[in-house]
Amino acid sequence: MSQGPGIIVDRKRATMCLEFPSAARAFRRAVLALLVCILAAYSNASALTAEETATIAAYEKVAPSVVNITTQMCEAESFFFCATPSIKGSGSGVVLREDGLIITNSHVVSDAQNIWALLSDGRRLAARITASDANNDLAIIRVDPGNKPLKAIELGNSDGLRVGERVLAVGNPFGLGQTLTAGVVSMTDRSIKNDGKVLRHLIQTDAPINPGNSGGALINLDGELVGLCTAIISPTGSSVRLGFALPVNLIKAAAPGLMNSWPRNTGWVLAILLAVWLLRRIMESGARIMMGNN
Amino acid sequence: MHFIKFLNLALLVFFLSGAPGAAALTEEEKNNIDLYRRLAPGVVNITSTLLEHDFFFNVIPRKGSGSGSIIDSRGYILTNNHVIGDGKLEVTLAGGNKYMAKLIGSDPDTDLAVVKIEAPKESLSVIPMGDSADLKVGQKAMAIGNPFGLLGQTLTVGVVSSVGRTMRAENGTLLEDIIQTDASINPGNSGGPLIDSSGKLIGITTFIFSPTGASVGIGFAIPVNTAKRIVNDLIGKGYYSYPFLGAILINLSPDISEALRLPVKTGAMVTEVIQGSPADKAGLKGGNRRAQIGNNIVIVGGDVIVSVNRIQVQDADTAIREVRKLNPGDKVQLEVVRWDGTSETVTVTLGEKPRGAKVP
Repeated sequence: MSQGPGIIVDRKRATMCLEFPSAARAFRRAVLALLVCILAAYSNASALTAEETATIAAYEKVAPSVVNITTQMCEAESFFFCATPSIKGSGSGVVLREDGLIITNSHVVSDAQNIWALLSDGRRLAARITASDANNDLAIIRVDPGNKPLKAIELGNSDGLRVGERVLAVGNPFGLGQTLTAGVVSMTDRSIKNDGKVLRHLIQTDAPINPGNSGGALINLDGELVGLCTAIISPTGSSVRLGFALPVNLIKAAAPGLMNSWPRNTGWVLAILLAVWLLRRIMESGARIMMGNN
Repeated sequence: MHFIKFLNLALLVFFLSGAPGAAALTEEEKNNIDLYRRLAPGVVNITSTLLEHDFFFNVIPRKGSGSGSIIDSRGYILTNNHVIGDGKLEVTLAGGNKYMAKLIGSDPDTDLAVVKIEAPKESLSVIPMGDSADLKVGQKAMAIGNPFGLLGQTLTVGVVSSVGRTMRAENGTLLEDIIQTDASINPGNSGGPLIDSSGKLIGITTFIFSPTGASVGIGFAIPVNTAKRIVNDLIGKGYYSYPFLGAILINLSPDISEALRLPVKTGAMVTEVIQGSPADKAGLKGGNRRAQIGNNIVIVGGDVIVSVNRIQVQDADTAIREVRKLNPGDKVQLEVVRWDGTSETVTVTLGEKPRGAKVP
């Protein structure tokens, strides 16, 4: 009997222990949860979203690696060997190597008499064409960065791109100055006809790309180069959000050949040397045969 | 027991965090929807009607259309100066109610204007002003407005494309710290708000760069900090008083300096001083003869301003910007290099810029 009430008391205490204070605790927790919710909603409203933070970080990472290119061309009827280059063009370029190798579109620089690269730190350097591949619309230009090396861009992988993925374009539209535009991958592996050439395996994007964006960077949210903005389809000549970029994997495949440090006519010199050598061998052997005949 | 309580708590949190349907949306989408719902009531459509007479004296109403943001529960609306034109103003709230508006003040230099409507307080939803000083390229920018004036309220979302651009408006005035965005901005969006992801006004969408007249992904907004600086003056006295120096300045570039054999390489060269202006009273000298340098004709012989209040200036824009930071009545110390090569510090008491004057 004595155990009975004891148990009851015990149970009462137990229930008291279990229920009332825990109810209070639950209440406190609920209030806490509510506070956390309100705080979360509030902080969500006053700080940047995750996507914004990623976009800002990606832009800040690549901004020093994208240059503005200005060119001067000769007028077609220029008579006196282009004494006053007058037509001005603008485009963009991406730094491939710290020592001053910059990749851009060949249509940005191909007819240029003078080329300048405006770096994001404000320096304006003269550039010259190192190599040009008109079929792929790629060109490599070189500047002399002096004692302040450039910042090379990180190359990504364009084969892994999926439609819907967010991409950012950094360039110099209409020569306005460095500009970021954002969009998604609209399609991959597109082929379009541009200036009578067929460009293949392009990335299509709805990030606004305008004249002057040519040769600029198309990057992913990790700040890696995935494409080189190259062409648009538009009835007006400016963006209707159908932009095309050369995939970075094409650049990776083409760049080593374009970047080699041999002078451009080395091949011809070697071929001529070989031809001369062969000719001499033939003439020598001919002479020997003639001598043998004698 | 614990498990059930945890479940309750989880349910509570779940319901607090929003409707179950919203769970399928991404954080970005939720943010966009939330901001639009909160701020769209604060964006108004402004129509200005101007009665014109044609050749046969028939009356033809010409309508212009733009957008605006309610910035005060008393009914003050911030918009662009070029939206209000000089006709009758009609404001349509997001709910559809129309009110006749009164022009309170305008500032053509920054292309901003304030109009007022007499509407009941509860129908006015105010858009809070944010800070445009530390905007980052890549952060979200949302524009709410009425593109082409016939569609009604429209939300477009993009990113901040660049900050701190200095541009010249069509009338030649200097627009500073312009925000560029790739959110679609079209005619009719003018005067509407540019909003950041926390729902604060960061700019007033004002103009676009486009060869076609419609959005190509390059839109520009006047930063809200510029608006904050002048809005109180617009409401209080109808205009903003700029400090007035009374001198026309051009950039002194190294090649001009070399050609003129001046002892300084860069600075702001005075080509003309307005008679009776503060600059004139302080003894600044304008140019007096023409010289051809390269392909340009430059008026030379004037002073070169090399520093404003001990801040070095490399060009005319910087000099104007430094002077603009001051108020009418303030004294400003200009370090000038005279035509004969001597250096001197001149103290100018700034005046108030006459309305319509194009000289800083």
